[in-house]
Amino acid sequence: MNWQDHKLGNTVYKATKKTTLWTTEKGILEILENTLALPVNVDGIVAGYVFRGEGNLLLDTIVETAEGAIGESVDRKLNRLFLMLGTNDDLQKKLSPAINDDLTRYGFENQQEFEVKAQELLAKFLDGKSHCSNNFNKKNGFIFAFSNDNNGFDILVTKDHKLVFKTSSTVFVSNDDKVVLKGPQGVVVSNNGKSVVIRMYK
Amino acid sequence: MTEELKEEMKKLKEEIANLRDKIEDSTERKRKREPGIYIDVGDRINDYVTDVMEGVAEGIHGELEKSIFIGPRGVKMGIFKHKKPSWEEHEKEINFSRASQVMSALGHEYRLKILHELMRGGKYMNELQEKLSEITSSTLSSHLDVLEEAGLVVQEKARGRYLITIPGRSAYKMAKRVTKFLERRNL
Repeated sequence: MNWQDHKLGNTVYKATKKTTLWTTEKGILEILENTLALPVNVDGIVAGYVFRGEGNLLLDTIVETAEGAIGESVDRKLNRLFLMLGTNDDLQKKLSPAINDDLTRYGFENQQEFEVKAQELLAKFLDGKSHCSNNFNKKNGFIFAFSNDNNGFDILVTKDHKLVFKTSSTVFVSNDDKVVLKGPQGVVVSNNGKSVVIRMYK
Repeated sequence: MTEELKEEMKKLKEEIANLRDKIEDSTERKRKREPGIYIDVGDRINDYVTDVMEGVAEGIHGELEKSIFIGPRGVKMGIFKHKKPSWEEHEKEINFSRASQVMSALGHEYRLKILHELMRGGKYMNELQEKLSEITSSTLSSHLDVLEEAGLVVQEKARGRYLITIPGRSAYKMAKRVTKFLERRNL
């Protein structure tokens, strides 16, 4: 799948109810009712969405070690544009076409303005590179990209119970009981309760 | 007679000199073999040795932790000499605000009991409630808030589980050590 060939959908949708986009025991990502969603199509099929509205990301990037717990929980309001590559049937069932009032609620005068912003976000994420990958769906996983304050992206990549979360200060990789965390406090490598901790000193 | 006495005096002087040399040699050897300051600790020797060993162990642990540095080019490991700070420097380094926050968080029986439970592993609210059934859930929750604010406990927001942090473990161990120290001295 070549992401350079993507096309934004013709219709802007809104969430008809609170919808969970992703969840495992380590975290949950949900959008609230009325959040706008614009499909991203690749090769004629929906491969993702650009969202704008209200949502929450909860993610436990904490590792329990013999020395004590390291890391913190991410508790973030999603009130900026963000991108999801991948889709699931549950989401599609909870979307309905948005009207102009839905767009103005989030500061867009019309659909075109939202599409321009969505295209800018997607282009910035792809950064001129040709990104090829398998189809993204519930089975194969998701990529979420959230704009951050450093003019970049915080990225969450998930597949089943595996996840990678990267921000400007933290990298968290988790695969069931195997965890790697690099954060302001140091580096932790943990495997089934056994861990190596390298702590950062100022 | 005079000659005999003189001869006897000479021998005695020589013996005294030999004995003095031997005493000096012995003291010198002992000093070289076991340098240090000798303190009469009487029958408290076991407590004293325990305290010293704990201090040494803590020092070694601290030095090892300080010996691992992470930089932009990778991880560097080594043994670095640290200048022992003077009392004035030591006093300046104390963050009184942080110290009082930690001490205040430790200053309640139930908060110490919570830390004790979390030392055995992360626990959910209901598990802690079972262990501390004598207090209400709202009291337990407010104690957890104090511990969390002091950075001694962290909650996994998605799962809701409470975990003891590295500072939390250190603070609990410190409280335990101080209590044991006082108990040993019947204070």
